[in-house]
Parts: sequence; structure tokens; C-alpha cells
Amino acid sequence: MAKLNAADIQGFAMRGYTFPVARFVFLEIVDAPSGQALLRRVLDQVTTAERWDVKPDSTLNIAFTYQGLVRLGLPDATLLSFPVEFVQGMKARAEVLEDTGVSAPEKWEPAWRTGGVHAWVGIYAESPEVLQRRCKILDDLLAETGGAQVLHTQDASLLSDGGGKYCAKEHFGYTDGFGNPDFDGADRKSQPGQGKLTADGQWAPLATGEFLLGYADEAGELPVAPVPHLLAKNGTFMVYRKLHQNVATFREYLDEHGSKYAGGKEKLAAKFVGRWPDGTPLELSPERPDPSLVNDPARNTKFTYGSDPEGTRCPIGSHIRRAHPRDAFGFNGQLVNRRRIMRRGLPYGRYAQPGEPVTDAEEHGVIFMVLNASIFRQFEFVQQQWIQYGNDSHQGTDRDLLLGKHDHGGRFMIQGDTDPANPPYMCTGLRNFVELRGGEYFFMPSLTALALIATDAVDPR
Amino acid sequence: MANQNGSIYGLTILSPIIDDPKADISHDCAIREYLACLPRDSRSPFAVLSSTHLARLVVMDDVIFVGTPAKEEHLQSKYLVFESNLDGDLDTYLTRMATETRDMVDAVWGHCYGYPGTQNVQAFIAYMKKCQIDTTFFFADVNNQTVRSTLRALKVQASVAEFIGSHQGKLPEQLLAGFRAFYGNVENMAEPVPGHPQEPGTHESIPLQKTMAARHG
Amino acid sequence: MTNINGKTYAMTAITPMKSWKTPILRVFFFLLGRIKPLQAKLVNLSFIHFARWVVVKRRGFPRVSDAQPEENLHYDYLLFFSNFNGTWNQYIDAFADVLADGLDLVWRWSEKFPRSRPVSAFKRYIALVQFDTDYYYTAYPRATTNDVKAAHRVCAALEDLGKSGRDMSPADFNRAYLQFVIRVQKDLGATGVGPIGT
Repeated sequence: MAKLNAADIQGFAMRGYTFPVARFVFLEIVDAPSGQALLRRVLDQVTTAERWDVKPDSTLNIAFTYQGLVRLGLPDATLLSFPVEFVQGMKARAEVLEDTGVSAPEKWEPAWRTGGVHAWVGIYAESPEVLQRRCKILDDLLAETGGAQVLHTQDASLLSDGGGKYCAKEHFGYTDGFGNPDFDGADRKSQPGQGKLTADGQWAPLATGEFLLGYADEAGELPVAPVPHLLAKNGTFMVYRKLHQNVATFREYLDEHGSKYAGGKEKLAAKFVGRWPDGTPLELSPERPDPSLVNDPARNTKFTYGSDPEGTRCPIGSHIRRAHPRDAFGFNGQLVNRRRIMRRGLPYGRYAQPGEPVTDAEEHGVIFMVLNASIFRQFEFVQQQWIQYGNDSHQGTDRDLLLGKHDHGGRFMIQGDTDPANPPYMCTGLRNFVELRGGEYFFMPSLTALALIATDAVDPR
Repeated sequence: MANQNGSIYGLTILSPIIDDPKADISHDCAIREYLACLPRDSRSPFAVLSSTHLARLVVMDDVIFVGTPAKEEHLQSKYLVFESNLDGDLDTYLTRMATETRDMVDAVWGHCYGYPGTQNVQAFIAYMKKCQIDTTFFFADVNNQTVRSTLRALKVQASVAEFIGSHQGKLPEQLLAGFRAFYGNVENMAEPVPGHPQEPGTHESIPLQKTMAARHG
Repeated sequence: MTNINGKTYAMTAITPMKSWKTPILRVFFFLLGRIKPLQAKLVNLSFIHFARWVVVKRRGFPRVSDAQPEENLHYDYLLFFSNFNGTWNQYIDAFADVLADGLDLVWRWSEKFPRSRPVSAFKRYIALVQFDTDYYYTAYPRATTNDVKAAHRVCAALEDLGKSGRDMSPADFNRAYLQFVIRVQKDLGATGVGPIGT
């Protein structure tokens, strides 16, 4: 297995940055010559995956939509070799993803409704002041080269814990950030439970090709990738989704059912997701949260569902069990290995502390980004088959409680047993707790590929 | 018996389609046109032929040339392929085809060589058996339930889920009374209809989208 | 989309086989039918309602009248019919992921079959030899095979409760009902319309 060339891979693709604030800048490229000129200047700014001796105070990464690549003047034969779902763009895939009803493109916020995004620039920083400075550098490059216009920007940041510090919670009150997949060459501390299961029940890294183009994937071949090879290698595909959270509705729902559920409100919240709000996995600690477990990376994601086939510890339809079934489908988890997604994300908007008044309409939610070698086989599959549907987990057409589309009510069954604190309980009348406000599919090229594009040197076969 | 798996019979029929260059519409095209307009929901003739679990009809133009060094060869006739997974025995099924779905059978098999019509049921059965190919290996996930019992079970399942949801937290007396009424209703449930009633917007009626690979899969 | 009705996909494929290889395939099917553990993986994948393989020998195409020309074929043909839940890609991916060896044993006797892994070549082969369905009917379009099995389990549990609960006191029934719910609690998924392509 090849050692990865970290200098060639964009840092965003390899690891989640731990900076607290970010701005995502969406650009429209003016034309090929000035766009390429801009890209030549931006190249120096792009953060790679190389290890930091000294942590920088900010990072910058860039990715392009299909239309952006068209505008940058890539040859037709190259453009046609990109995967279909990327070419169409996320808006056109609304039926596949069931981004319909309240999440339909017609209901997206104006900037995303208009569309026309060519490029995403992601800037992370250690403070708002540093963020401003880095963004100014980008603005200056835009002004100098005239290569692109800013269509709109999106700010995001870790939420405040109410005591002036950042915390890892999202707006529904869950601590997030567990369970990113581990792959060969990832060059970061891996945690048991992040990779794939081996025949003897250990965890091993997934094939690199599940997350980076140009490497063997779990099917034993190179994933579908654009030509030429040099354009694709070390690149990846990114999904960007702005997910609005209906915090008021969610809190009301949790209150209503929390008072009826014999296990209590906090346990009910845990059953929705499969982790207690503090992140303790239900599978390992079904009765109470356990801070020592959560804070131990060697344990906090190390579990399987094989000893819980009835779902009495972690409900079969709970969020993490749907999104990453591990061994729940049998076959030692083999059906799951090609459906893993790398998640990056940051909340946006003000966090209403528990008890503080809040409305659904307030601007708050999560910027949800996914990295994978194949949007169709990985992200779209998980979204379509495991979030918006339940047949693989034998839950019929039941959808994920948090992310599913519940236009006509919907049900979530919490499996239980004869323990009075763990009864079977059916959550009925599910609402749309999350709504899509916009998003797109992007290609995140390697440094080499960026240079190829910037110098108009892409040569298809 | 290779055609049988538990209580399910696997019927495979290959009927050679008439080749008549002088016909206005060729016989294979006529079959295709007819099938394109035939309802696939509860108005389907196969819903009438109610012992049918799943069935398909395929007009097979020719065998496929898979590429050198395989040899290229061609069928002399096109074949109508009929695959059906059904309850009960073959003779009963074929008899019901001839008597209860006469129009469809005539419209489809009327374009095939040697088709004797449905007036003489025995002749029809003999013809179909002549076109039958034995199944070499037949897999059935659920091989011990009839169409009727499965349709009923699906309806019961939905009712049970609804009952459980609406009776959470009820006191024991209310629960028992509610259950007695519920169970009585289930026992007297109306016979469910095979296939599905056509509704606007259901998946069955989504038109083929013309955009490039707009459909997933 | 005529290959799909409700949540079920009809796949029909035909592949040529040299005549001398056909008996080998028949032996493999004979073993598959008798040795249950070999079928276990197929059963555990749990997304096929019914599937069959049908060997049509080179002289086995039905000849029903003199007006019909005689076939003159070199190869035997293996017809494959599947009625499965899920998308075309999902179906083939799942088989290639967990049943690659079994698939190879069935199709290696067909001309030009690539192995089932890596899966892309396998998918191209299937696309080449697949026929589109002209008419597809299912009696239960809104139910997958998982739904069907769950429904029967729920029915059986309900019947047991109905019979035994008939003469119980409210307190006893309350306990029996809890046992009933625990028994069916994994089998209550709704049936309805599935995702596109499914």
C-alpha cells in the first residue's frame, strides 16, 4: 500500500481541522484565463495534508463544481469523464436524495436557489480576527486577478457552552464528531471502530480508494475517476449541505415524548441518535452517560451491534446505527465498507442554551460536508437507502428521526425489554427536524491537479 | 421437483413469436405495444389471476453476442418469455389463465406460433406445457405463504403498528378493551386486493425522466 | 420504468455456454439445492423475493409448429431471472461484496464472464446480457421481502396473543401485551413507496 504524498493532497481531505471558526466563500469564475490566473495565485495559499510542526493560525482549501470546471476551460473529453451525479449537481439529484417538500430546491435560501456556484473556498481560523485577515488575502487576490466574483459567504463556528468557551455540541444538544472513518495512509491517530471489521473482530483501516481517487478501493479496483489520471489522483469529491435545524420543534418533541417515555428525556434523546447527548455510545453504556468512556478515544467508538440484535440497547433505527451499521447486516460488516463517508462539519448560528427561548425560524443549523471517492456509491447511497429509507435494517420505509423527511408524520420504534426503565416505545408523529437550505457537489483536486488546471495543461486521452 | 420450492411454483415459458414480414405491425412489436398499455397495478390481469406473486413478460429478440472469441449466432425466432411465481399447481393456474384472463392471453399469445386459443382449455394447457422449460434452480425467500395470506399479513402488520402507537400508556382496562375490539376487526378484515390501486404520484406512475441517468441505479 | 414495480426490480439475463460445460453447472446447482449452508448467505442477504436459473439447451428452445423455423444453435443458454429489492447497483455490489465466489461458480461457465470482482467489469457484463422487462407485475408492490417476513411474524404473534389473551384479566393481559410488543418490536416498519430506482 503506497505511502500517501501528503504534500499533494489538500489538508481538508485528509483530516478535520480543529479550528473553531470558518468561512465558506462561494465564487463565480469570470472566464478561463482570469480564473486560471486566480488559481495560480491561490495555489500558494492552499493548505496541504502535510503534518504541522507549528500549527498555522488558519487554513485555506478550494474545490470546484462541474460548472466551475467548465468555466475554467477544461477539455470536453475530461469534463465528460466525470461521474454523472457530479456533472448534474446536487440540485438535479433532489429526487434521488428526497430533497423534496420543505427541503426542495425551490425552498432553498435565495443564494442557493439561484445557484451558479463554481468554486468553494474553505477558510478555517483560530479566531474571528485571524479569519478576517485570511479572508482579506483571498479578497485581494480576487481583486488583483479579477478571476472570480464572490456570490455569497457562509460563516460557521463551534458553539459556545454558555461559559464563554467553545464546545463540540450541535444545536440539538448532541456532542458531535465521533466516528470518522479510518483509512490506509490517513496518518493520524486512528481509533478502534473507525475502520472496517476484520474476520477476527478487530478493526483495520479502510482502503484509501474509498476516500481518495487514484488508489485501490474496497472493491479491489481504482474508483471511477475523471481522466487524465493526473487530474484525479489525490483528489476527492465533496458534498456540501446547509442543514437548517428546527430547534424549537425538536425541543418540543423531546419534551412531549420525554415525559411519556419511562426512561426519561435524556435517555430518549440518546435513543434517537444511539449516543447520549454527551457522546457516550448507548451500545457500551445503555443506562447512563459515562464521561470517562467518552473521553477515551480507544473506547468511545469501539463497539459492534452483534450482541444487540434486538436493538434493546441501541435502537435499530437510531441515527448512528443507520449511518454506520458496522456488523448489523451480518457478513462481518462487508456490506458496509463501501458505504462509509468522511464528515466535516461546523454549526452555524447562535446556540440557544437549554431553557433559553428559541424559534425554528432563527438562522441556526449545521454546515454538513462529506468527503468520499464516489458521491453516488457513498453519500447518496447512505442518504437514500439508510437515512430516507429503512429496508436494509428491516425497518420498512421508516426514515431516520433526525434527518429523515417526515412530511406525513412518521414513526420511530425504540426497542425495549421488560426493564421498566427500558420499555418498548413508539415515537409517532415525527416532524421535519432538519431542512435543507442549499448545497452542491464539488471536486477537490490535488495540488498537482490544481496546477494543471491553473496552467491549462489538462490533457485527456 | 425443480419447478417447485415449498408451496411456490416457478413457471418458465418460452413461446416462439410469429415472424410475418407482410404484417403491418410485426408480431413482437404488437406484443410490446399491448404490454406497454396494460395496467400493472390492481387492474392488471395478473391481479385477477390472484395466485400470482410476481410475474414478468419479456420479448426476447435474440441471444446476445458477448464478443470474440465467443461465436456470434442468432435465434431464428423471437421468443416471448413468461416467468411467473405462483401458488398452487400448474394445471389450475393455466386453467384460470384460459378462463379468467382470456383477453390478455389472446392479445399476447395470439402472436405466437401454434397458439390454439383459450376456448379449448385442454389444448391451451398442452400448448403452454409444450413451451415450458424446467427450472434448473429455484430460490424463494418466502416459500410457504400464499398471495392471499401475505396480503393479509401486510395489512395486519400496519394495523398492529397503528394500534401499538395509539395505545401507549393506556391503563390495563382500556388496553384490554381496545385490544378486544381491534382483534375483532382484524378477524373480520376485508379481503385485500392484489397489486396496488393506482394513486397519483405513487412510484409506479413516475414517468421515465429524459435527463441523463436522472434515476438512481 | 418497466423493470421496476413498486419496490421490486426484475432482472432478466441470458448468457451463452459451451454445451460441455452445462452438466458441470447442473452439478453445482444440485449441490446448492442439497447443501443448506451454501444457501445461507443468499438467505441472509434477504433482498430477493424469487430467483431462478433456467438452462435452455441448444435444441431445447420450444418448437411448436412446422411454420416455425428450426433453431440451429451452437451454445446452450443460461437464463437468469431475479426479483429483488434495492437498486441495480446495490444488488450487484452486495453480491460482489459477499458472494463473489458463489457467483463465479454459477457464471464462470458462461462465455466471456469476467470474475465478479472487481465489480465494475462484472456490472458491464451484466448490462450487456440483461434484457429489459416488457411487463412486470407484483401482488405486493409496496412490500420488500423483509416486509413480507416481518408481516408474517407480526401476524403469528398477534394470533397467539388473541387466543391466549381472550380470557385474561386486565393485569395479566398488560403483562402479556408487553411480551407481545417486545416480540414484534423489530417488525413494525411501515410499508409504502420506496426510493427512486428501488
